[in-house]
Amino acid sequence: MLLASQTVRRALLGSAGAIVFVALLPLAGAQVAPPDTQVALPTSRAPQPGDPWKADGPPPANPRDLSGKWNRVSHFQTYGAVKGGANEYQNEILDAQVTNRQPDLRPESARIKGLKYSEPVFTAAGKEAFEKNLPGYGLRITSPRLGNDPQGNCDPWGVPRMLNGQVAGPHATWEIVQEKDRMLWIVPWHHQYRMVWTDGRKLPTLDEVDPVWNGYSVGRWEGNTFVVNSMGFNEKTWLDHNGYPHTYEMTLEERYRLLDANTLELTMTIVDPEYYAEPFKSDVKIWKRDTINNKAWDENAYCVASEEGRFNRLIRDGEIGK
Amino acid sequence: MKIASVRILAASILLAAAVPATAHHGTSVTYDTSKTIVVEGTVTEWVYSFPHVQIYFDVPGADGKVAKWGTELAPTPSMMKNLNVGWSRNSVKPGDKLKLTCAPHRVVGATACLAREIVVNGKLMPLNDAQIKQAAAEQAPAGSAR
Repeated sequence: MLLASQTVRRALLGSAGAIVFVALLPLAGAQVAPPDTQVALPTSRAPQPGDPWKADGPPPANPRDLSGKWNRVSHFQTYGAVKGGANEYQNEILDAQVTNRQPDLRPESARIKGLKYSEPVFTAAGKEAFEKNLPGYGLRITSPRLGNDPQGNCDPWGVPRMLNGQVAGPHATWEIVQEKDRMLWIVPWHHQYRMVWTDGRKLPTLDEVDPVWNGYSVGRWEGNTFVVNSMGFNEKTWLDHNGYPHTYEMTLEERYRLLDANTLELTMTIVDPEYYAEPFKSDVKIWKRDTINNKAWDENAYCVASEEGRFNRLIRDGEIGK
Repeated sequence: MKIASVRILAASILLAAAVPATAHHGTSVTYDTSKTIVVEGTVTEWVYSFPHVQIYFDVPGADGKVAKWGTELAPTPSMMKNLNVGWSRNSVKPGDKLKLTCAPHRVVGATACLAREIVVNGKLMPLNDAQIKQAAAEQAPAGSAR
């Protein structure tokens, strides 16, 4: 069967290339951590060989300097330790689709093993809003033509989604620019940035401002932890790629801490009582100082609505021949 | 339209390829990545935009009628020459002869697909590192060291 063997060979070649590309990037900065510098691992999944998110560098020269380019090495695309909020679930679902079987989403299954997720505690209104959001990722993965991810129109991700996205494969960088009176998060994907004022100003109230895509943010140091408080978000954004909703009333707290010179930790808490009956806490996010520096495409990672719209219509919606 | 052949692949083999691809916008819910088809035609447009690279092409049918086709390639960052594979805005041009192996759209009858292997004017245009090696091997003179 020449034809079949050629096809198999091509399929294998294709898959090997994809795996190599995806696998190389997160390992680029991996080192063996001396036992005395290990820190608590993120709670989102069990440690695996090659995980680069141990604290493995020297102490930071200045623990209050977060500036630099950072690449996220913990889970991509997801805000929290939320069931369905991980590529592992998505991959099992797609695996099942391709192999024509029922997905095995039990905690003990091969792909889900080690993941301990819990649902956020929705209110009835929150659950209803969540079910209306149809994402192209995660446990509820939907074809883009049937979904309603605002990203499909190149809408801004907003905060916190822009903190947890990825550009391609596992490349999830942003850069922190630290000024005297403010800090900037530069997010290549979609050409977004957000600003956090550190000049001592207070957050406005919802009566004083209109809700906007990125909200309003102020930051301060608590010891060596940088705490960002934000409010005033419009309701057009999702919390992450999995379609978690929020209202105008949402407030967000981000807590950043350097674990060593090359490792940055972030945990987040959302308070939005109309949609979430309890504060919605993220899992622990870990970034490493970017060791795959200066990819030329980082600075050109636009999402252009006219280009994306045409692509979605002709290719993803399959209307090219109509 | 002219579809040279339709090959149903052993699903487990394609699985590894399918899963990483879905990290970007969930392509596997748009395409049936357990199958491939082969389509041949003439390029009408090469779209080298971010984050989706696309080729549009005409496929002549048996009745003389031309079908409009389109395909998406790997995400742009993995195609760019300074990162991985080495495509550029000059890689394909209108009029080029295209032989495309691709995963078909899940919408029956849609003339769009996800590229797996691209041959332009008889030359393999690699979509990943493995195809780079394959292309280099195919172009090496007979008997030369590989």
